[in-house]
Amino acid sequence: MANLELDIRIVPPREKHPAIFRTFDALGAGEGFTLINDHDPFPLRRQFEATRPGQFQWTYVEEGPTVWRVLIEKSKA
Amino acid sequence: MKLSLSTAAAPGGELDTFDEACRARGLEGIELVIGPGDDVPTLAARLAAARVRVVALRVETLDGIPLADLARLSGALSLPLSLPLGIVAGISLTDLARTFTEAGGTLLLGFATDLDQVLAVTTALRETNAPPDVGLAWELRPSSEDLGVSGAVLLTARERLGLVRLYGGGPEQRDQDGRGVGPLFVDLALSGYGGPIVLTPSRPEELPRWHKWLTSKNVVGCGSARATGEMELDVRDVEPKDRLGTILGAFRVLPRGATLHITLDHDPSCMYYALDESEPPGTFDFRKIGDGPEVWHAEVKRL
Repeated sequence: MANLELDIRIVPPREKHPAIFRTFDALGAGEGFTLINDHDPFPLRRQFEATRPGQFQWTYVEEGPTVWRVLIEKSKA
Repeated sequence: MKLSLSTAAAPGGELDTFDEACRARGLEGIELVIGPGDDVPTLAARLAAARVRVVALRVETLDGIPLADLARLSGALSLPLSLPLGIVAGISLTDLARTFTEAGGTLLLGFATDLDQVLAVTTALRETNAPPDVGLAWELRPSSEDLGVSGAVLLTARERLGLVRLYGGGPEQRDQDGRGVGPLFVDLALSGYGGPIVLTPSRPEELPRWHKWLTSKNVVGCGSARATGEMELDVRDVEPKDRLGTILGAFRVLPRGATLHITLDHDPSCMYYALDESEPPGTFDFRKIGDGPEVWHAEVKRL
């Protein structure tokens, strides 16, 4: 399937995390998307661990200094 | 997906300075607005010499600018040219397509978040068998449009969508809270859209804010200490990218037993996870107070 990208830099603060979780929840098992952000989204990774334990893989594709890209994939069932 | 900024954000400025500022901001490209004063035939050479990262061309008016020149420029640079649908209303789609196909250029017709308009233009493109050299640019205005129809608009325009122009973002991001930008960009991501997203000021009055946003590198949080060593920190005016650093910085200078009172415009849970990741275990106590919908508070006590 196509490489999905969510650029969260454009999304207003209050809607950022809901938008990321909505995108992730819409994926099928084994699918993923690239999250693009202007800072290291490490707290989000912890939030994923807390709310969706064992359901995702987190791979840094680019780590700053101005842009971060993380491939977030949904684990195969 | 390339997040870019339109030169409309800094009219009259030098291109290489603008490109450099965009680079520092992590923006991946620029949209060049061509005005009646520009000599279109020489632009390609000038742009090549300046070595700026232009991802798209734009015109707002065709007054004094021959469309054929624009088509040739688009072809020579292999860059799409977007324009508002209204300014080519008097030209047939067949003629438009021929002009751009012959020059090897790409034309993107700008439409509003208006289902009737997007249905009309996509139907016309289909009926004239328009080549892929003619596509669509979404002119998205969250500050003044109803984005409730954006899902249907996206579905209709998706096949020919070559550019999204967002009137806002940047320093206007917070003003557009709750206007539907979040859900729309989720839909856009899930639709597989990978083209440029160009930010542009929503109105001329916003230009000073864009200038400040583009030239400032670090924004300092507005913390104020109380006599007891307690600290209040309102990060609503701090840019999202600087918020974690501001809060972690404030926490680290907090005396033991003191509390940091934080005010935010989003759910503070991520701040808990940031502290949990960055600070040694057992050094803080985090409490979320209230639950939006517009303002949130959190207290972090240093143990």
